[in-house]
Amino acid sequence: MSGGAELGFTEHLFKVLVIGDHKVGKTSFVKRYVKNQFYEELKTTIGVDFSMKVIDWDSHTRVRLQLWDIAGQERLRGLNRVFFKRSSGALVVYDMTNGSTLDGALNWKHELDSQVMLKNGRPIPAVLLANKCDETKVCRRNASLLEKLCQEKGFIGWFQTSAKENINVDEAAKFLVKHILQNNEESVKEEEQNMQINLKQQSKSNSTCC
Amino acid sequence: MATDNRIHFWRRNPKVPGSLQPVYGAQHPPLDPRRHRLLKDAPKVSSVNTKSKKPSTFHEFARSTNDAWDIDDEEDDSVFSLKQLSSSPVQSQYMPQTPRLKIIKTPEDTEPLPPSLDRQEPISTNPSQERLDIERGPANGRVVKSSSDAQLNVNAARNTLQKQQSLPVRPIIPLVARISDQNASGAPLMMVREKTRLDKFKQLLASPNTDLEELRKHSWSGIPREVRPVTWRLLSGYLPANRERRDLVLQRKREEYFGFIEQYYHSRTDENHRDTYRQVNLNPRYCLVFQVFERILFIWAIRHPASGYVQGINDLVTPFFVVFLSEFVEEDVENFEMASLPLDTQRNIEADSFWCMSKLLDGIQDNYTFAQPGIQIKVKALEELVSRIDEDVHVHFQKCEVEYLQFAFRWMNNLLMRELPLRCTIRLWDTYQAESEGFSHFHLYVCSAFLIKWRKEILSMVDFQSLLMLLQNLPTIHWGNEEVGLLLAEAYRLKYMFADAPSHYKR
Repeated sequence: MSGGAELGFTEHLFKVLVIGDHKVGKTSFVKRYVKNQFYEELKTTIGVDFSMKVIDWDSHTRVRLQLWDIAGQERLRGLNRVFFKRSSGALVVYDMTNGSTLDGALNWKHELDSQVMLKNGRPIPAVLLANKCDETKVCRRNASLLEKLCQEKGFIGWFQTSAKENINVDEAAKFLVKHILQNNEESVKEEEQNMQINLKQQSKSNSTCC
Repeated sequence: MATDNRIHFWRRNPKVPGSLQPVYGAQHPPLDPRRHRLLKDAPKVSSVNTKSKKPSTFHEFARSTNDAWDIDDEEDDSVFSLKQLSSSPVQSQYMPQTPRLKIIKTPEDTEPLPPSLDRQEPISTNPSQERLDIERGPANGRVVKSSSDAQLNVNAARNTLQKQQSLPVRPIIPLVARISDQNASGAPLMMVREKTRLDKFKQLLASPNTDLEELRKHSWSGIPREVRPVTWRLLSGYLPANRERRDLVLQRKREEYFGFIEQYYHSRTDENHRDTYRQVNLNPRYCLVFQVFERILFIWAIRHPASGYVQGINDLVTPFFVVFLSEFVEEDVENFEMASLPLDTQRNIEADSFWCMSKLLDGIQDNYTFAQPGIQIKVKALEELVSRIDEDVHVHFQKCEVEYLQFAFRWMNNLLMRELPLRCTIRLWDTYQAESEGFSHFHLYVCSAFLIKWRKEILSMVDFQSLLMLLQNLPTIHWGNEEVGLLLAEAYRLKYMFADAPSHYKR
């Protein structure tokens, strides 16, 4: 999902999922990230909510993030097939004050990997967010546990975040975008290589023809 | 079922997961529960175990109900707008959308409204009473007396007496001002017409046996505010058409509801109910209204283990609550405090809201069971219908890769409540309760009409993002009765065209 280049300026459009159990703060995270605002009172997300975030990544790259904030309630998981497709990355959120939502986050990650993957067959980059960190502290044991979980479950990293106090919101998103861009570059390179191979083959066949 | 012999346009697509359950409510005339008891009982096994359900929390419920009237416009002076007193420190933070119900603060440690001390013995079932298939929860073995046949005769004699004694005198404050359509205030001709309409309603309601057909006919195009509460009770099937029986039924049902509270509510922290309660629990509890909603939703959830608590259900309490509250509130609700009402009145509003919401949900239960098959079917049906009535819009969606599920799930799940101001939802529900299968069936046509209403805006959006942004934030904030009326007229036209001849119009 990336736009064309013009005079060295590239614009990308990426679809990013925001998933995790009900009530862990997905919508709050998105609102903080997109509008830099925090709302004590937010509607329960029904189905999916959309937001856009435009990032001027560097002087020649603009990234448009299409954020899909997906309702966390379990009974709707059947719809995830529809909502997940063609996404480039994911923020998987859990609530640090509610331990069971971490298990939930791992389930979401599992489901994500079973529904979408990169062209090369690898999982799409996903960041684990330990949200509501303003309400509690990560102890060292937890930190190493999360580190281990990330490796085991294939997250590219994890962040303690607080949408309320605006902690690590931009950082986590930036980290994800960086990986998405890398993946994108790699896949562009792979495509170019494939094209070159094709061209070579073509020119070979052409030369034999002539 | 009365409706089984009709071809249902939206039931034709079987390609959705989950089981399709019969719709046996939300239709008119409301089905006689006695005839359908077996059907109703079938899925309700004797267990109240709701452990496996994952309803959402009450905290969320509170949030979402707050936003049910997320209107910022100052000129919204409708009697139905609610203003919430931001009553606790937790609440004092920035709130983007101020709900307008002024809610009285109660101490944080306030226990939920206790059943009133002077409450009389629950009145027993009379023979024609809808049997309430209460699952006797393992909670405490206490039994709701009103279902007990043994009490029948004993209480029958008392009924007359209690009818006279125990119903509180309801301080009905007539809503003198603005009986007319809010869009037509000031137009004398309209005032006269509205007055005539109101008289007609009053006449129907006052007759010994209200002609429900006639009442529906008149309600379709909107119910005058003064008579809306009683009309809604009648149309939902909660109140009997027989005028003499009404007080008695009301009293019995209210007692019954508080019987449930007595029987179940203390068990909310028991192992087998804890999950359910956690989902509907508001913490910290800081206001009366949230406690009311919490009780209603908890009781509903444990009595409906097949669905439990589902996001969206909480929204559906609001219109009932607000309409029943409006009976006691004058024009100025800004300064209204629920706690200023007599306790009995508060309790009546709560019980009536519970029963009417239950009646509504009975008719759309497959919206809220596992995988929400009802919703998925309806979204598919919407897509199919739109593809026939407005190909441009349909093709445009396809071109921009917009899927109906992405925006219409919410339309179905919350009955457009998230898309319309609360006053419009209330007006819409006048018609839904007057229309046969309004909530379960006619809503599809309303959604179609609603979508097509924005066709110009839709077609002007060039990509997925802008389309979804539009569809998720449709500018209805200034809508009133007139817009809803037009919407309903168009929906009716669509229904007339497509409902009974789906194949004929198939592309």
